[in-house]
Amino acid sequence: MTEASNHSTSSQSIMTKLLAGAILGLGAGTIGLFQGLQSGDKAPFLGWLWGCSFWLSIAIGLLMLIMIFRVFNSKWSPVVRRQQEHGLAAFPWLALCFLPLLLVAWFGKDQAGILWSWVDPSSPTIEVSSVISVEEDVLHQKKAGYLNLKFFTLRLIAYFAIFCGISHWLRKVSFSQDKDGDPNWTRLGSKVSAIGIPAAALSLTFGAFDLFMSLEYQWFSTMYGVWFFASGIRAALAVTILICLYLLSKGTLKGLFKQAHQYDLACLSLAFTVFWAYISFSQYFLIYSANIPEETFWYTIREIDPNTGALSGWFWVSMGLIFGHFFFPFIYLLFYRNKVDAPKLIFIVCWILAFHLLDLYWNIIPGREIVPGAFVGYDARPVIGSHLLWGVFSLVGVGCLCAWAVIRSFQSGTSEIIPIRDPRIRESINHHE
Amino acid sequence: MSDIMDIKYAVAATFSSAKDLFNAAGKVREKGYTNWECFTPIPVHGLDAQMGYPRSKVPRFTLAGGVTGFFTGMLIVWFMNEFDYPLIVGGKPYFSPIYPFPVFYELTILFAAFGTLFGMFFLNRLPRHNHPVFEHPDFGRTGDDKFMIVIEVDDPKFDEDETTEFLKSVGGDSVQTIREPID
Repeated sequence: MTEASNHSTSSQSIMTKLLAGAILGLGAGTIGLFQGLQSGDKAPFLGWLWGCSFWLSIAIGLLMLIMIFRVFNSKWSPVVRRQQEHGLAAFPWLALCFLPLLLVAWFGKDQAGILWSWVDPSSPTIEVSSVISVEEDVLHQKKAGYLNLKFFTLRLIAYFAIFCGISHWLRKVSFSQDKDGDPNWTRLGSKVSAIGIPAAALSLTFGAFDLFMSLEYQWFSTMYGVWFFASGIRAALAVTILICLYLLSKGTLKGLFKQAHQYDLACLSLAFTVFWAYISFSQYFLIYSANIPEETFWYTIREIDPNTGALSGWFWVSMGLIFGHFFFPFIYLLFYRNKVDAPKLIFIVCWILAFHLLDLYWNIIPGREIVPGAFVGYDARPVIGSHLLWGVFSLVGVGCLCAWAVIRSFQSGTSEIIPIRDPRIRESINHHE
Repeated sequence: MSDIMDIKYAVAATFSSAKDLFNAAGKVREKGYTNWECFTPIPVHGLDAQMGYPRSKVPRFTLAGGVTGFFTGMLIVWFMNEFDYPLIVGGKPYFSPIYPFPVFYELTILFAAFGTLFGMFFLNRLPRHNHPVFEHPDFGRTGDDKFMIVIEVDDPKFDEDETTEFLKSVGGDSVQTIREPID
């Protein structure tokens, strides 16, 4: 057997394994969704949302980075950009993964509001400490023009249409240039990006409002979208670094992906670590300073047990985010050697990805569960619970599906390893500090 | 005009392209010279590594400034709000790391910037009003179309004849000794 056919056999077996993983993970998650519909348990839905949103945030981060590279006409990025463009192949599949949540909202009958309680106006909700229905809640009445199922559906379709559409064009522009070398593709790419940045920025902002913030529809934060953007970019940079260093170690990018590229990506990681902390802290700081109950409860249930006032498990997760998602990566990435030594950088980007997952968990999972007879009428969802188990299923399932789509794009042969006919490619290959 | 006394400062060689200078700089480094400098009209990428320079030490001053700023901010808030004149504002504690964080943050940035700027001045021995290398008749052209390597007399390996020959051998267009006048 020749080496080439050996290689294709092994890659085929990886693809089969990934598809099997996707079917198993998503299948188990779907069983959870059905069980949740039967028993009225929210946990499988929260888990599903958490698992999908991790991969969605990475894809959105990649999309934003590519468009930013394009509009700035940056000369160092083309070598890196090509690897990111393959990542965009995951978007249509991600849309598919979010579909079950939308279907339940439409066809779930009396369980339609199981994940987003506002979907079903008759579902119970909490006002101060008494239980009322969503339609009686003035905070929903005032938001009903925005938070209603039809408009929500329309928006979700628009978000994914924008993400998939821009991704399709960015890939087409870049891959077509490999074939004919026409510099007009680069101009078109800049135009697509210039239009795409505001479109995608609005989509990801309102997407974060709709998917995550509306889980507790009474709560609101205008910084939420920026938080999602910052998180997505951090995760996307981590994935970019991992892909590039993997391809470098395999020899594919040998002599093309230089230490200077790695250093610049690591510097961007440092910058967005600070940016994430800045946004996350500002959101906390404003709510803390204003001290309005409609806003503060969101942080209260992430810090203490609302009935007893004792520190809850979420307090330690919150502290973990401050020190693990900001303080440690910040100090670590300040040092030059940690940015240019590949193993040291791989360690910290894996760390950032793990804490990004925890950050999403912290944002999505805690919520007020109505408990009749409790002192404040509700209890906060615990850190460890069945939502974690269901979440891991969808995390693995969606991850395998996205990895399959991305590897398929890498192997499809529609593009070169790097954009060989990009006008900036020579500068990118010769990039140095 | 009376006699002007002078002392030898260095031997300088001029080059007419960045490539020539870059190659020559590598040979100077390999020869083992340590007290020498390159002057170029444009930034030459990779020249620091070619000259064998280690990483800049300025970041250490930045870090020290930032840490100082952070704790200065804490000290200011603690002294004024907790110690000297305790006052409840907006129902917040006298001292906490949360509500005055912008103060810590701003002072961290400010002092880190001071550390960077003054650290750079300190390491470059600035401000400085004159430099012996200005005595070279073509020094002005290193801001225009000439590249220059200057090996100082202070270098342990310096020997006027040998160094002059060496600079000629690495491709210097004109090699001459820079003399620093004393009056």
